[in-house]
Amino acid sequence: MRYLTFRLLAIVPILFGISVLTFAVVQMVPGDPIVAMIGLEATDEAIATLRARYGLDQPVVVQYFAWLGNVLQGDLGRSIQTGRPVLAMLGDAIWPTVQLAGAAIFISLLIAIPAGILSAVRRNGAWDFGASFVALAGLSVPSFWLGVMLILAFSVTWPIFPASGYVPLFEDPAGHLRTLVLPAITLGTSLAAATMRMTRSAMLEVLSQDYIRTAWAKGLSPAAVITHHAFRTALMPVVTLLGIQMGQVLGGVVITETVFSWPGIGKLTVDAIFARDYPVVQGAVLLTATAFVLINLATDLVYAVLDPRATG
Amino acid sequence: MTASDTAATTPARKPGLLRRAGANPRAALGLLLLAVLVLGALIGPLVSPYDPVKPDFLVTLQAPNAAHPFGTDDLGRDIFSRILSGARVALLVGCVSVGSSIIFGTMIGLLAGFYGGWVGMVLMRVMDVLFAFPAVLLALGITAALGPSLTNAMLAISIVYLPIFARLARAQTLVVREQTFTEADRAMGFSDLSIMLRAILPNIMAPLIVQASLLFGDAIIVESYLSFLGLGTQPPQPSWGAMLKNAIGFLSLAPWMAWFPGLAIFVAVLGLNLVGDALRDRLDPRLRKSL
Repeated sequence: MRYLTFRLLAIVPILFGISVLTFAVVQMVPGDPIVAMIGLEATDEAIATLRARYGLDQPVVVQYFAWLGNVLQGDLGRSIQTGRPVLAMLGDAIWPTVQLAGAAIFISLLIAIPAGILSAVRRNGAWDFGASFVALAGLSVPSFWLGVMLILAFSVTWPIFPASGYVPLFEDPAGHLRTLVLPAITLGTSLAAATMRMTRSAMLEVLSQDYIRTAWAKGLSPAAVITHHAFRTALMPVVTLLGIQMGQVLGGVVITETVFSWPGIGKLTVDAIFARDYPVVQGAVLLTATAFVLINLATDLVYAVLDPRATG
Repeated sequence: MTASDTAATTPARKPGLLRRAGANPRAALGLLLLAVLVLGALIGPLVSPYDPVKPDFLVTLQAPNAAHPFGTDDLGRDIFSRILSGARVALLVGCVSVGSSIIFGTMIGLLAGFYGGWVGMVLMRVMDVLFAFPAVLLALGITAALGPSLTNAMLAISIVYLPIFARLARAQTLVVREQTFTEADRAMGFSDLSIMLRAILPNIMAPLIVQASLLFGDAIIVESYLSFLGLGTQPPQPSWGAMLKNAIGFLSLAPWMAWFPGLAIFVAVLGLNLVGDALRDRLDPRLRKSL
């Protein structure tokens, strides 16, 4: 409980810093958002009126605290481009991003865990060398290129999956899965590579421990030793890595969603940057960074539950 | 004289380059790929068969052939020449962004670790805030704020990597500052700056160099992301990410426009990762098992 309180208090200054940086970075964006909204032909009076309405005529510090006060009350402002509340736009975009991130992590675990275990068990064998090299190659492939190659293969050459678009899960589950496959593989590949390397490394560490030798000596079956004894211990660094990888996922969705026109937080952010839609950029960046911090906190707490020594 | 005596008195023959390459084929492959990248960047523009920027509307969208081994793009520019020119951008991005972040990150970490107290706390809390953003998102935000250009992309990537080096340098400094030789320097009356530069810095560099080697390839990928989104290198200057962005519109007509820039990124980053892994083995054997 003390550890939990300490960790919760520790993220308060981080969240404050995130809000300052998010606000400051967006303030530096070149170009006038009001001019971007109503065009170059707008009169000076119209521009001044709108600047006053959005509070852009106030000093930057006043703008920041006004914005922070609203954020704390759940008001992220309205989109300059569409006039919709930013919170509603983020609410629409968050579900597709969660689906994509979840599918990518699922695919990565499906590949990485068995491959990592097998590599560790057959250390220095042909499988180990092959899988390790493929994992390193997976880490070296730029995800957007992989996405483009998948589109080229499975949408252009063999039109099996759509190249872009999004079908809501509850409208058409099969259609949803078809649109999800290529972006999820794109995002999941580099995650799988890193997870596989970590699983292998953690398994090698555990397999050399005395209690594993004891388990072998007791005559337990290989499946029991590997899954019940070794993998359960090796899971801890893998869980930590998964938490760290969430940052990669939250960054990766920006690119993957752009390539596949997937209507999530990443695409919303990129579109808002190019439209100079300050409130949407602020809201999206703030949401993503806050989610990242909270996921890291959750990872640490899970780790503390798995290994109570980590709270010391 | 026994055989063991002979072995003890005869200086051991240094292993040749080929033998060492045979002992670590992955490192050898990495060095080979890295050499291709460096050669491409240094002499590529001198030997490239065509101007990488000048359009030639007589040869637009040509498939790979003898005259244009990687084909041509929608403006008739030779893709091979543009790839070679893009290698220079990739190398520049890696050197400048990782180089500047290791310098400033180490300075911050060294000061925070050496002095501790409120100086260390303030510096590291700022680093914590930077570290709280997903890397690509932070780079994207900074580049969008500063305006799209290669210089701003490199600056953004440097800022993204700053907390990684600062945290590592601080952690290492905390260990080294308690060592006997640092205490001895302090007892002999050396100044703080002298202790930091002479006693601490040389002893914290190994893990920082390993980290830099692993982030070099990552920097190339992040720059290609930014260029792909239109926020990095600006046309007509060739960059692998921007070439891929351009290729998206011609996927069914000219897929080779997408093949080669991506392949170039992959080969360069794979080479750097292989070398980074080998360097990690060499300089930080504690991490050897992660290979």
